[in-house]
Amino acid sequence: MNYLTEKEEISNKEEISNYKVCINCGKLIKLNSNFCIHCGKNQKIDFQPNSLTKISLIKLAALFYGLTLIICLISKLVPQFDTLPWSITIDFSLAVISIIFFSLNWKENKELLKWKNFSIIKLFTFVGIAIICSSIVNYTVGWLNIVIYNKNDEYSELLRSSYFGIFILIFFNAIIPAIFEELGFRGYLLSNLLKITEVDQAVYVSSFLFAIIHLSFISLFWLIPFALLLGFTRIKEKTIWYGVIFHFTFNCTSEILSLIKH
Amino acid sequence: MDTSLSPPEFCSSCNIRILNNEAYCQNCGFPLLASEKEQNDFLLNRDIAQIDLEGYNLKIERVRNWFYYLAGLFIVIGIIVLLTNKDNEDILALVIPQFILAILFLILGSYSMKKPLACIVSGLSLYIIVQILNAIQNPILIAKGFIFKIIIIGVLIRGIKSAIEIEKIRKEHPSI
Repeated sequence: MNYLTEKEEISNKEEISNYKVCINCGKLIKLNSNFCIHCGKNQKIDFQPNSLTKISLIKLAALFYGLTLIICLISKLVPQFDTLPWSITIDFSLAVISIIFFSLNWKENKELLKWKNFSIIKLFTFVGIAIICSSIVNYTVGWLNIVIYNKNDEYSELLRSSYFGIFILIFFNAIIPAIFEELGFRGYLLSNLLKITEVDQAVYVSSFLFAIIHLSFISLFWLIPFALLLGFTRIKEKTIWYGVIFHFTFNCTSEILSLIKH
Repeated sequence: MDTSLSPPEFCSSCNIRILNNEAYCQNCGFPLLASEKEQNDFLLNRDIAQIDLEGYNLKIERVRNWFYYLAGLFIVIGIIVLLTNKDNEDILALVIPQFILAILFLILGSYSMKKPLACIVSGLSLYIIVQILNAIQNPILIAKGFIFKIIIIGVLIRGIKSAIEIEKIRKEHPSI
């Protein structure tokens, strides 16, 4: 009763949207209040894990990142693994790691797999931006490779010689990374970091970690903004699917441009 | 608690203006209608949190300085590589990563007081990856400056713990 009376009084005087409900006593308080003026409850520390839980969450995130890093290092730096069967095995291992860690908190993370508020306009906007960005990056990286490393893009002759090979390339370079990197980094890692720190810091950390795991310092100039865009999109839209589509379109455009060049 | 008392016009803890119907300050949580003892306890806790925060900030400052030292180190290495490999046609490939690392550590250092957790976690990950890459290229490099590397990693891990504590204090005492 008191609550309704108070609500009615406030709506007559000011916009109700300037108020929120206290997480402890349920009474109305100003939107920007740090504490409830009625019961004194801090509005920012409800459901926040304590420092020890946070350290455990960081250790778990470090385990995910460490395992992913080891596999990336092996695939990039050990020449014996530069074959198609090994590439498939490595992609499969990365996918399994992402799925396992994502499933650790399935109850919360499954919400990210839903696509509420689907918008076809947004989807096409992301696809358009991804195509433009990928084209710019593809030509810039090609130019940087020639200037800095005196080499052109290396490309598998065997794979691009047949339609099946092209399908394999797009499947392993565009579809698989788009789904499982988003599941791992924007799904598991970002959700984990959001429990440890505030939104912007969680997005910065996950983006930086995503960028440096590609083990190319020259590519950081586009990888960091790319990851930040995906991170903030995941936060705003509360789904990983816009990110997956963006990531897939970006990688696929890059593959197609490389095929055209060769 | 005596609710018949009317609250003061300004909060005794954070000095913001108080409205008539407030039992607690909306900015800092100060109990406006509580007994003097409860109010003093609140102020004491706030002061302790303030001292703790200053201590943790000092540790973050130490981490920031290490980021600057690392940036300087990569610049020096870059210059040495530049001077000793003048005739090498892959000189840019050798030097540019050193300068990129220097720039990254400068950026992380300059933002480390503002966004401590993000910068320190990123810096630690970057430093470890650089060391792994160096070790793969030349395993002898693991032993080179081993104590220095351990000190840096230790300082950064302690920095992460301090950053977590800073966030906790800032959430519990938003007015500090």
